[in-house]
Amino acid sequence: MLTLFKARSVITMNPSMPRASAVLVRDGIILEVGEAENMQPWLQGQQYQIDEQFAEQIICPGFIDPHLHPSMAAVLLPMEFVTAMRWKLPWGEIEPVTDAKTFDQRMQELHASKPAHEPLFIWGYHELWHGEMNKARINAVSEQRPIVVWHRSFHELYMNDATMRMAGIDPAQIKPGMQIDIDNGHFFEVGLGFAINRLNPWILAPERYAEGLQRLKQVVHHGGHTSIGDLATGLFNFDTEAKALAEQLEGDDVPFRTRLVVHGTRLTQGGRKPQEGPELAAALMARNSHRLHFGKHIKLFCDGAFCSQLAQLQEPGYIDGHHGEWLAAPEELERHIRAYWHAGYQIHVHVTGDLGVELTLDILQRMQDEKPRFNHGFTLEHFGFSTPEQIRRIAALGAQVSANVYYLHELSDSYASAGIGYERASQMARLGSCFAAGINTTVHSDFTMAPAEPLNSMWVAVNRENHVGHVMGAAERLTQQQALQAITINAAHAIGMADITGSLRAGKKADFTVLAEDPLTCDPMALRDLDVVATVFEGKVFPVK
Amino acid sequence: MSDNDAMGANLQQPNPVPITVIGGYLGAGKTTLINRLLAQPTMPAGTAVLVNDFGDINIDAALIKSASPDGQVIGLSNGCICCSISDDLSKALDQLSNLPLQRVIMETSGVAEPARVWQHCHYPGFTPQALIVVVDAENFRSQSKDKYVGQLVNAQVDQADLLIVSKMDHNPAFQLRRLTAQLTTTDPSLLATVLGWTRRHPLTATLSTTKTASFAARTWYQQQALSLEELYALLDRQAEGVYRIKGWVEITAGIMQVDRVGERLTLKPMEDRPVPAQLGLVFICST
Ligand SMILES: [Zn+2]
Ligand SMILES: [Zn+2]
Repeated sequence: MLTLFKARSVITMNPSMPRASAVLVRDGIILEVGEAENMQPWLQGQQYQIDEQFAEQIICPGFIDPHLHPSMAAVLLPMEFVTAMRWKLPWGEIEPVTDAKTFDQRMQELHASKPAHEPLFIWGYHELWHGEMNKARINAVSEQRPIVVWHRSFHELYMNDATMRMAGIDPAQIKPGMQIDIDNGHFFEVGLGFAINRLNPWILAPERYAEGLQRLKQVVHHGGHTSIGDLATGLFNFDTEAKALAEQLEGDDVPFRTRLVVHGTRLTQGGRKPQEGPELAAALMARNSHRLHFGKHIKLFCDGAFCSQLAQLQEPGYIDGHHGEWLAAPEELERHIRAYWHAGYQIHVHVTGDLGVELTLDILQRMQDEKPRFNHGFTLEHFGFSTPEQIRRIAALGAQVSANVYYLHELSDSYASAGIGYERASQMARLGSCFAAGINTTVHSDFTMAPAEPLNSMWVAVNRENHVGHVMGAAERLTQQQALQAITINAAHAIGMADITGSLRAGKKADFTVLAEDPLTCDPMALRDLDVVATVFEGKVFPVK
Repeated sequence: MSDNDAMGANLQQPNPVPITVIGGYLGAGKTTLINRLLAQPTMPAGTAVLVNDFGDINIDAALIKSASPDGQVIGLSNGCICCSISDDLSKALDQLSNLPLQRVIMETSGVAEPARVWQHCHYPGFTPQALIVVVDAENFRSQSKDKYVGQLVNAQVDQADLLIVSKMDHNPAFQLRRLTAQLTTTDPSLLATVLGWTRRHPLTATLSTTKTASFAARTWYQQQALSLEELYALLDRQAEGVYRIKGWVEITAGIMQVDRVGERLTLKPMEDRPVPAQLGLVFICST
């Protein structure tokens, strides 16, 4: 059976034929994109149906987020969101809560809405908006129900007395000097680990984790994705994660495929040499199923977390003089990169600051000197800070960029005033320059760091408006065409799937994202509010609303 | 007045277990130093060692000279979602807190700032004792000027309570112009000093001159299941000079706890408990 999908317009992302009005599909594969009247030769003598449900809508290539974290999302999504930024979630839009009073009100409402004694986990608190948090404030909501308030950064949490009783945390055990302020119920750094180890029976209970992955599935679908990249499989525990992913993200009801990129240093953890890594990673491909694919991809880490101001910066560094951190010694990073480079892998390096970029490019230069490779797909992941000179090097070395552009929206204001100054804060995510230099450039959410909504990433990349409404680095704005490229074909290149998806042409999988309005001609400020009507995964329609 | 009192320890509770932190940049000789400490026969019973896995990214809890660890639970990573490095530490410490320990020796990652690790050692049931940093005489000068790690290796040295200079034979003229107490790795009192070192306490109080035999520990990590015959062959092949073998190995019949003292071998199936995070054997041999 053939299906002929008709649309108001089809955006193909195939430069040879940018627009069309129909797509003909057989067994999940595109037979032809173009005009229906040209497709007769395929239809003669065949059974076919004309599907006009999208006749008034826009068919785009299926969206791709090339870097998010399903395992992390599975932990977070069962929690209640109370956040300063808006989040569009399938089970309801989270309206921004930007002051302390409203935050307390939301806690009260959530408390009132839950069955008695069920612990309540809240995520999204941030002192900048929600005032100082402490145990007394949570106790005021309830002294009986365990309530945990998690910081937006995930780096700290607060709990009430009922939670301490539930988790068996004895305040007498806690001494001054520990990274726990027991009077305020505040746990941070290694103290956070202490709390989490005791809360694990609740937050990592297998059924809760499974529920979290089911929620992730909905989030990914509602965002309009038909492919995603899990950019550090094995973040917590490889076997547990791989098993849960296979159970929850495979099957006919899953409307997307996942590129699994294994966490390189976890893979060889336990005294194995980096040179053993490529073989260990290759062995994982035996686990591949229809929707879950390991490939010749590896994830490695360079410098510290962007949101904690631990990115490694070149001069003049941070205003307050503190330094970022390395996640691996430069020599160790190089040993790992070398092992995978010589084995022909596509290497994804988490890198956030311009000193990190410099180091990564120095290493890549040495690899190219040792063993020149073309079309190697070496990818700089996150790409917070960079310099114009580095853009030139990235292009010359044949690398690509996958940027978390949301940082610009959420953090450029505070980084300008209390981090690195206006000039560099406004030039985070230097994406216009990347396109101008011909670098394959994509954007990601790093979900749960940013909303898993490609249209939202596109909105930030096109408008570069931060959360207080200022345009930051106008010269680096992308056109709508470039931004749509970033979330489709360029993203497909980044996760090594451009041969099967990312654009609409004969021979590719029939992966579509169907929008109510045209993302190339709409008001750029409207981009993030465009309705995702449905996705089509390998020819099968999955309505969103 | 002991450090414990200074920490405000509650007298009703058992004393917190002291942690000696061994820091220093990649390749400085931290692991070598720890192996030498482990080989000390005067090493008190109930010492646990946390070794950093290949020098970066995370601390992998390999317990040596201590009772068997309770198995691993998966935990959240502390820190940025995809960049976390320190959560393994809290997991390891929670595991250790169930054991009757006298002390912990902790090797930091080569890129860790020791002062941060010191903070992390203020953990329920534990207290930091000393921050010891190993400095590589051969490479320190160039590392301390390096564009990428210069700031870090200088900070490591600045934060130490005790500096141990390694590889002096490669650079005999090396001097660290710091007021911090310094020893070289050839100092006869090295090991006793390291074990006894306590922040703010004088060196002389802890010196020991006991002459001891030398021992070393070696670890074999299992990557695939063995047959029983292969396990026996492995144990026999390693027999030279080995007086103690301990660990967990997966054979066709399941996971076995292996314990060999001299010629006496005990193989016990592991029942009803979580599997160790890492399977393998530790060989302790005289050298
Ligand atoms: Zn990351
Ligand atoms: Zn990530």
